[in-house]
Amino acid sequence: MSFVFSEENLAKIEALKLRYPSPAALSLPCLWMAQYQDGHISLEAIEVIGELIGTPPMEIYRVATFYTMFHLEPIGKYHFQLCKTLSCALCGKAEVLEHLIQRLGIRPGESSDDGKFALSQVECLGSCGTAPVMQMNDLYYENLTPEKIDAILESLEGEHR
Amino acid sequence: MSQIEIVIDEKKYAAQEGLLLIDLLIREGLKVPYFCYHEALGADGNCRMCMVEIEGQKRPQIACDTNIKEGMIVRTKGQMIESVRRRILELELINHPVDCAICDQAGECKLQDFYMDYGLYDSKIDQAEKVHHKKHIDLGSNVMLDQERCVLCARCTRFTSDITKTHELGIVGRGDHARVTTMPGKKLDNPYAMNVVDLCPVGALTSKDFRFAQRVWFLTSTPSVCHGCAKGCNIFIDHNKEKYKDERIYRFRPRPNADVNGYFICDAGRLSYKELQENRQLEMLIDGMVSKEDEAVACYHKLVADGGKIVILADANLYTEELEAIQKYAHILGAQLCAPLESYRDESFGDDWLKSSQRAANAKGVEKLGIAQILSTDPVALLINFNHPDGSKIKAQKSIHLQTHQMEGKADLVLPLAPFSESSGTLVNEDGIEQFCPKAIWRNEPLMSAIEWIDLLQGGER
Repeated sequence: MSFVFSEENLAKIEALKLRYPSPAALSLPCLWMAQYQDGHISLEAIEVIGELIGTPPMEIYRVATFYTMFHLEPIGKYHFQLCKTLSCALCGKAEVLEHLIQRLGIRPGESSDDGKFALSQVECLGSCGTAPVMQMNDLYYENLTPEKIDAILESLEGEHR
Repeated sequence: MSQIEIVIDEKKYAAQEGLLLIDLLIREGLKVPYFCYHEALGADGNCRMCMVEIEGQKRPQIACDTNIKEGMIVRTKGQMIESVRRRILELELINHPVDCAICDQAGECKLQDFYMDYGLYDSKIDQAEKVHHKKHIDLGSNVMLDQERCVLCARCTRFTSDITKTHELGIVGRGDHARVTTMPGKKLDNPYAMNVVDLCPVGALTSKDFRFAQRVWFLTSTPSVCHGCAKGCNIFIDHNKEKYKDERIYRFRPRPNADVNGYFICDAGRLSYKELQENRQLEMLIDGMVSKEDEAVACYHKLVADGGKIVILADANLYTEELEAIQKYAHILGAQLCAPLESYRDESFGDDWLKSSQRAANAKGVEKLGIAQILSTDPVALLINFNHPDGSKIKAQKSIHLQTHQMEGKADLVLPLAPFSESSGTLVNEDGIEQFCPKAIWRNEPLMSAIEWIDLLQGGER
């Protein structure tokens, strides 16, 4: 399996290169593009990025392992990231989490066998006013209740059909 | 930069303005603990151990990131600074397994030393609560990694990124989970890799070749020069004589010398100590039969008395003093002396750093003494070979070989010769730097050096 950046991403990288004094500054944007493209960051992608921006793969790998939002292994397509920080914890996060575990059949940090869902708990998402809150891929779901979770799952099921 | 004066622990020191404070502390022998700083790698400032008090500054400062300024007043001792160091050390030890008794680094471990200096408290962390990492990972190139013992000083990763520029090692993950590793599926693979073992201040990186072979406090270190090539890297020969046994070398370590090798040596040189202990010629042989000294001397005189043209070959690894003695000896015998250097060339070995393609340690010495380098192909009556590798290439009716190692082929007389570790003398490296090597190894039954053999063969006493 080998990794190739899409034409669109390659154009973006070239445009970004003009912005910084050193192309090594593009480690993070390139890692993001690779993750959006494949769903995770493969070692091949790291090699490719290294070559593109003239940085040893080890340096890219170090960056990728440092941030929890980068996935070096494939994870479920829909990634539920439930906030576990104070406001959400006080406003019923536990109940929502329990319901998610029940419905998805996975624990935080796991992906479902069919590759559809992944569940994790994260630190503050910065939306305390609408706690409890969850981020599904790039979307925020606010004021969560077990019923709302059911509705979200249903809409996702619909999307799948 | 101008010369200035600063005060450290109530004493005045002269130093260059802008010099790193830690360099001055190290140079003056003032005790300051540090893991991450290394003269060859520069300051990184990650271990925070080298804290000192500087008058006028609110907080303690790290000496490795402080440039010396005029009128600076520094304190390296005192209750305050020692309590700071103790607390930082406690942080370093949170997840450390504290298994010194079974750790190969014990005795030369900075963490162990600093604990004895500043620690001496009971652990607040239960063994079961510590974060566990992988132990005994084979990184390749004879280097073993124990991630739990690591203090994350990043010396090894800086060595592979800044010095060898091979970028094999890196610190991945973060917080408690940060650890040194290679890329998945990749190995540590460069000809200088084993230097990370010396760089590692703790027992995280150990040498597969040396670990568990000997406790370091049993070892005696003798300064010497590596004989692996003409570069002449400075080394320590670490050796030990166990009761009744013959003295043995356990490892070579680099010895800092800014003019020659800096702080490092190559792996080939480091492991070349093994050659000094394998396949050695220890007996005198007449026609392949073990014989006594008087018989061997009688045999020598008979061979020389037979007359005819004599050629003497000299190894370009011999010390200059030995080469001079051989030169005189050749003159007395009326023999033709040569030391072909071409035989030692190995283009695949050399690089642009510490490895030279000329693999004879004293090649420059041979040149300086003006010893002929052309290998004569004419048949000769007698060959006297002082350990030169091309001894068998000369067509000689009779031959005498003084050998450090067992030779192939037939010889009329074989005499055992002491290798460089068992005698002393001077080498001239490829840049013309003369370096003296003292005798390191004292065998139970010592072998004779070239000089001693020449004395004996010319009728002197042993």
